[in-house]
Amino acid sequence: MVNNIKIGLEIHCQLNTKSKLFCGCENKANEEPNTLTCPVCLGHPGAKPVLNKQAVMKALKVALAMNCQINPAMVFSRKSYFFPDLPNNFQVTQYEFPLAGKGFFDGITIKRLHIEEDPGKLIHKAGYVLVDYNRSGVPLIEIVTEPELTSADRAKEFLRNLIWTLEYLDVYERESESSLRCDVNISINNGSRVEVKNVNGMNDVKRVIEYEVERQQQHQAVQETRGWDSEKGITYQMRTKENEDDYGYITEPNLPMFEISNELMDNIKVDLAELPLEKIKKYIKDFGLSLNDAEVIASDKGVAELFEKVSMHVNPVRAAKWIRQELVRHLSLNKVKLNNITFNSKEFIKLLKLFFEKKITDKVAKDIMKKLIKDSSFNVEKYIKDNSLTAVSDESEIESLCDSVISSNPKAVEDYKSGQENALNFLMGQVMKLSKGKASPDIAKEILKRKINK
Amino acid sequence: MNVHDYVENVKSGNIDVVEYIENVLEEAERINSAYNYYTTICSDLAIGLAKMVKNNPKGKLAGVPVSVKDCICVKGVETTSSSDILKGYKPVFHATVVQKLINEGAIIIGKTVQDEFGFGSFSVNVGKSFKVPLNPVDPLRSCGGSSGGAAGVAAKSNLVHLSLAESTGGSIACPSSFCGVNGFTPTYGNVSRYGLIDYGSSLDKIGVIGKDLNGVELMFDVIKGHDANDSTSIEHINEKKEITKVAVIKSAFDVDDKVKSIVEKKLSDIEYDEIELPLTKKYSLSSYSIIAMAEASTNLAKFCGMRYGAQPDITMPYNEQFTKVRSNNLGKETKRRIIIGTFARMSGYRDAYYIKALKVRQAIINEYKKTFKTYDALISPTMPILPPLLKNIENLNPLDIYKMDQLTVGVNLAGLPHLSSNAGYFEGLPVGMMVVGNHFNDNAIFDYVRKTW
Repeated sequence: MVNNIKIGLEIHCQLNTKSKLFCGCENKANEEPNTLTCPVCLGHPGAKPVLNKQAVMKALKVALAMNCQINPAMVFSRKSYFFPDLPNNFQVTQYEFPLAGKGFFDGITIKRLHIEEDPGKLIHKAGYVLVDYNRSGVPLIEIVTEPELTSADRAKEFLRNLIWTLEYLDVYERESESSLRCDVNISINNGSRVEVKNVNGMNDVKRVIEYEVERQQQHQAVQETRGWDSEKGITYQMRTKENEDDYGYITEPNLPMFEISNELMDNIKVDLAELPLEKIKKYIKDFGLSLNDAEVIASDKGVAELFEKVSMHVNPVRAAKWIRQELVRHLSLNKVKLNNITFNSKEFIKLLKLFFEKKITDKVAKDIMKKLIKDSSFNVEKYIKDNSLTAVSDESEIESLCDSVISSNPKAVEDYKSGQENALNFLMGQVMKLSKGKASPDIAKEILKRKINK
Repeated sequence: MNVHDYVENVKSGNIDVVEYIENVLEEAERINSAYNYYTTICSDLAIGLAKMVKNNPKGKLAGVPVSVKDCICVKGVETTSSSDILKGYKPVFHATVVQKLINEGAIIIGKTVQDEFGFGSFSVNVGKSFKVPLNPVDPLRSCGGSSGGAAGVAAKSNLVHLSLAESTGGSIACPSSFCGVNGFTPTYGNVSRYGLIDYGSSLDKIGVIGKDLNGVELMFDVIKGHDANDSTSIEHINEKKEITKVAVIKSAFDVDDKVKSIVEKKLSDIEYDEIELPLTKKYSLSSYSIIAMAEASTNLAKFCGMRYGAQPDITMPYNEQFTKVRSNNLGKETKRRIIIGTFARMSGYRDAYYIKALKVRQAIINEYKKTFKTYDALISPTMPILPPLLKNIENLNPLDIYKMDQLTVGVNLAGLPHLSSNAGYFEGLPVGMMVVGNHFNDNAIFDYVRKTW
């Protein structure tokens, strides 16, 4: 019987800064190997680190969002170990004096939050290994939780909520699974703690926990560090407590102590009005949104801001549903972030109003939405007028369209009469085509049914 | 000829700088074949720079021949810290100080030999493929270290010469004393370390060695100032405070009688108080050794035979490969300091050694700061002994050698500016005396020595 599962996470997340943590090289994934490097991030003799302030600002935002205690000053340290992906053979991280201490997020206690540099990347080939230093020096934050998560699903949900918040804060972009890496600590029934290193992404975190809970029931856990083989779906022993690494930390003497001034803090607080988890609650409680709609809208800053504007002018529940089903889907299909484009929310509100008042049809509304995304100066009303796209809801007009469709499609009419419902959809399509998409579909359907059944 | 007159003559065209540099290079080769001061003489770079100055004779150091300690990067010129592990390494950038010197018209002549990575007081700890530099006064003796080549060449050159040197625990003052020249070590942070191969990064300071005191100050003025590439460098704007009240550190005269007699004679014309710095006396050497070696053990980790320097065929697992490269290419003293430094920061020992040494360092800085509330400068001998015979150094154990730095480590630990100048000679052997100023009051030390020496 498994009870008392305790899970703690150490989450390493790449910050989406313009340049690396200690040099001016661009912070960019998926480039030609070893093209984004310089003497500093290659560890050349004599090169020295210079701290990227943007990384500090972004890490501070996260610390505030996690309700952490911010330390008045932080110090970088050298964590020493020899490895080919580490140009200096030490990693610059934080040890005694991290950026932030105790906090809480999504019901879980945060132990600490610190800034560190990412090593390069090993590329394993048949019989040899290559090193790509493009990633060397990319800024990371490490968030450490207390072991308060109690199931694989809860851990996944926590990470999902964390990712939403990080994306919302514009500190993180989910470019690849490896841009968020976790070390997972798991113990069951108050047994020994097992740490599984380097798990990429929240889905694998869930798999690791499920595997370990099962494994630790079969084999009494010993305190050890394990690795994770994602392909095979198994963990394997890396080292036991007796041969734990000793990193021989010293303070990084090439970087002075960095003071977190009140001014710096004030600048950041302005940004932190309302975060996704609070928004989700508000949307459900105050606007009556469904959980699904609320989550999708609140997890994207641009979409959330648009929705909040829109909700003052049109029915929020209908607006949310349409935004999720049409706008968000279209944006994600085309890999566009609302925050990265100029989107004319006033025109969008007009569009929704016209649609909800049945002045335009669903099809016309979708077409206009696409044009609005591409062109922020797009004028919805003028376009509808110029192209006579107002929905036809005049019954006599639609009736004559229906008559014409019925008389030119006798076979479909017969099929429908003999019970084939699909035939009605075909006839509907013909009516819409004839009306250039303007006929109100509800009315047209009514009329078709009535006329054929007569 | 002094440096200022030389620069004037270059600017007025009285001296053909290209011809002069050709003579300097010839002299450098000649001195080097007898005394081993250079690891590399970069004639092509020197002639190229001389031609540029000839065409456009501008800059505070127009045409001045300068040597660069081997631990300071010169773009395209082999830079090794006199270690076999960096053999063949040619930096892809100039150290900030080198760039500043070139911008002011200085001519880079070559790289000067040192104890490997700065680990020593006699320049005998050079890598296997390097030669030990010899004292310019007596070639059977040491020229001090670790900036031995820098001090030796400054003393031995008859033509104008200034040396760019570096001190972690006394590596500028010591060889300057043994070679009878001026060696200035600036306040920590006053001169950019960008492009300096790290030994103990919280202690390393780039400075100047030369016969001509005014020339040394001129070169210091050129290289100082904030550099965005070195996060520990500072732009200092405070006014210079004249040195009027000085103190002599009493226990610092607990040295070889020959040294003592020369320094005391020099002090006979000077008014001073006698003081003691008990914390510094008792703990500076141990605090310094732990911090310097702990930092060095991490700074040197990058030298592992990947990316640059010594690099045999990569066929072994990385751990074996790194071990082999480091075992074969690092010297005995370097290995000793890496091992001691690593020990001092391992868990279980870290608090007792590394962390405690940091606390002691702060206490020592406070002791100096308190003293500088009353006094403007402190004076002591630079080295406890006369330049030793090279054959006698072999008989010293490591601890005896570390103790050679007893008078210089305190001020280096506190990052205080200090100038070692010649106080006289005992039977022909130079004796140095050291004036220590308050943080960022660097230039006042030059004024004081000019006025009272």
